[in-house]
Amino acid sequence: MNKQVAISAENNEAGNSEIRDFEIRDYLRLDMFPHFMCPGCGHGIALRALLWAIHSQGIEKDKLAIVSGIGCSGRVGSYIDANTYHTTHGRPLAFATGLKMARPDLHVVVITGDGDCLAIGGNHLIHAARRNLDITCLMLNNEIYGMTGGQVSPTTPHDRFTTTTPAGNKEPVFDASRLAEAAGAGFVGREITIHLPRLRDLIAEGLAYNGFSFIEVMSDCTEVNGRKNDLGSSPEMVLGQTRTMRPSEYDNNVVDHPFRPNTMNTGVFVRSDRPEYGATYRNMVDEIQALQQKGQK
Amino acid sequence: MTNVVKLNPEKMKEPINVLIVGVGGQGVIMVSKVLAQICQNLGYQVKQSEVHGMAKRGGVVFSHVRFGSNVWSPTIPMGKADVLIALEWAEGLRWMNYLRPGSGVFIADTKRIVPPFACRSRVLGADIGYSKNTPDDVREKVAEAFAIDATEMATKAGNERAANTLLLGALSTTLTFPDKAWKEVITQMVPPKTVEVNLKVFDQGQRWIKGSRKGEPVEGAAFVPLVQPEENAVRTHLEITAEWCKGCDICVKMCPERCLVLNKDQVAELAEPEKCTGCHICEWLCPDFAISLNPIQQEAAE
Repeated sequence: MNKQVAISAENNEAGNSEIRDFEIRDYLRLDMFPHFMCPGCGHGIALRALLWAIHSQGIEKDKLAIVSGIGCSGRVGSYIDANTYHTTHGRPLAFATGLKMARPDLHVVVITGDGDCLAIGGNHLIHAARRNLDITCLMLNNEIYGMTGGQVSPTTPHDRFTTTTPAGNKEPVFDASRLAEAAGAGFVGREITIHLPRLRDLIAEGLAYNGFSFIEVMSDCTEVNGRKNDLGSSPEMVLGQTRTMRPSEYDNNVVDHPFRPNTMNTGVFVRSDRPEYGATYRNMVDEIQALQQKGQK
Repeated sequence: MTNVVKLNPEKMKEPINVLIVGVGGQGVIMVSKVLAQICQNLGYQVKQSEVHGMAKRGGVVFSHVRFGSNVWSPTIPMGKADVLIALEWAEGLRWMNYLRPGSGVFIADTKRIVPPFACRSRVLGADIGYSKNTPDDVREKVAEAFAIDATEMATKAGNERAANTLLLGALSTTLTFPDKAWKEVITQMVPPKTVEVNLKVFDQGQRWIKGSRKGEPVEGAAFVPLVQPEENAVRTHLEITAEWCKGCDICVKMCPERCLVLNKDQVAELAEPEKCTGCHICEWLCPDFAISLNPIQQEAAE
């Protein structure tokens, strides 16, 4: 399955043959199925988009390293039939940084969640973005700590009920894409799960980008978040993503509800040409080694 | 087929009726205006009546032109049209009942403009609700029938929009007006930049009909029967891994054809397989990877 299929806007006409080329079960650990996620969880759709993007970029399984943290999102990585690395809570980006520095030939993809990436691993995120090392960070944002029973997370919208905010959440929320942008990530994008082909193209672009690419996937937590807040059934929540979304403009108000029920912006937010850290570092090493060899002579 | 129809208003008691039909935007009104102007220039009484109602969307676009020594009503009664000019193939067939049975002249562009409502079924390889009649079916019912690929010929001549003038050229062989009168009015009516190409295709239309009457090979493509898209269709087969399905209902609610249901075990099931169009939405949005759409390979194996 190493067929290289380029995905681009012009290439959408050839979509049909491309669809048939992609067989998702080649990329899954089938003995682990059915997976542990709740009915209607958006993480499954995000996983499909990631695998499809990997397939479209023609990345071999042996050259792919998936690093994931703890939480619902952390478990997503376990279902991928590739080199997977299930790390400690909040630290997948730190592990991935070490992995990428040691093995620059690998495609390192980090799968992390909103609590994992923004609360516990918040510092790792901003420093990974600052370094601009060639890592693709997929943040599955379901606005809650789902696995541990529905505690408030940094992206839980205003007035949302959770187990730790029984009277409604009063904390302002993080706009993770803006955070990554401000911290210096070279590529930042956001997409919702119902737009699967667009999400796939966004991830594919992030994988192809040479630098830190931060992709925020708006996922749904139907069982914990949806049920407690009466957000509707799984299909209603998935469809609701499109109703509260505006694709082109980026005029989020961080203080207000950044994602829902106001408008949400999707697409590529940042695409810069900052130098990639790994290459810079290796150049420095080469220069020092050259100087040392000169000194020895 | 051998009986060549020539209509001379001088020799006829009743007015000559010409019905022009199309789908809109093709020059139906232009054709009727040119014809009416010529008749007026030659001193006949002309009455013209039109409806331009978007045939592409289910309405009608036609223009009735009646001329002769004395014309009372502007509309042509059913079954009394001497000439039917159709700028689109199916529209021509649709107005066949206006043509005089047995003695009418049928001139049609074989260009097909398939209206959106002809493609109601989204199933792959579904039948297009477009007429499958061929010119031979028409020839049995009329005195003369001409199926010209006018749009193609006009495009080759330099302007697709001159197809209506090509059909005017074809019409001029049935009526007895002098060529000079036709060309004079066409030159007046068409946009100044397109006079040359319009006169060129007018001659082409005349030549086509004359050649066709003599049984000579004529320029322009032959009538191509309607091709159904079945050949390109890839039949798909929806496979649901019941053990993986958690009954989240997303596929059932998202399916545009409503062909999936949740059964009593809360597992998705394909209730109406014949309705499935293979659009992949359920496959893509299934968070449990339980649905897979596979192409059926049986035709490839043959």
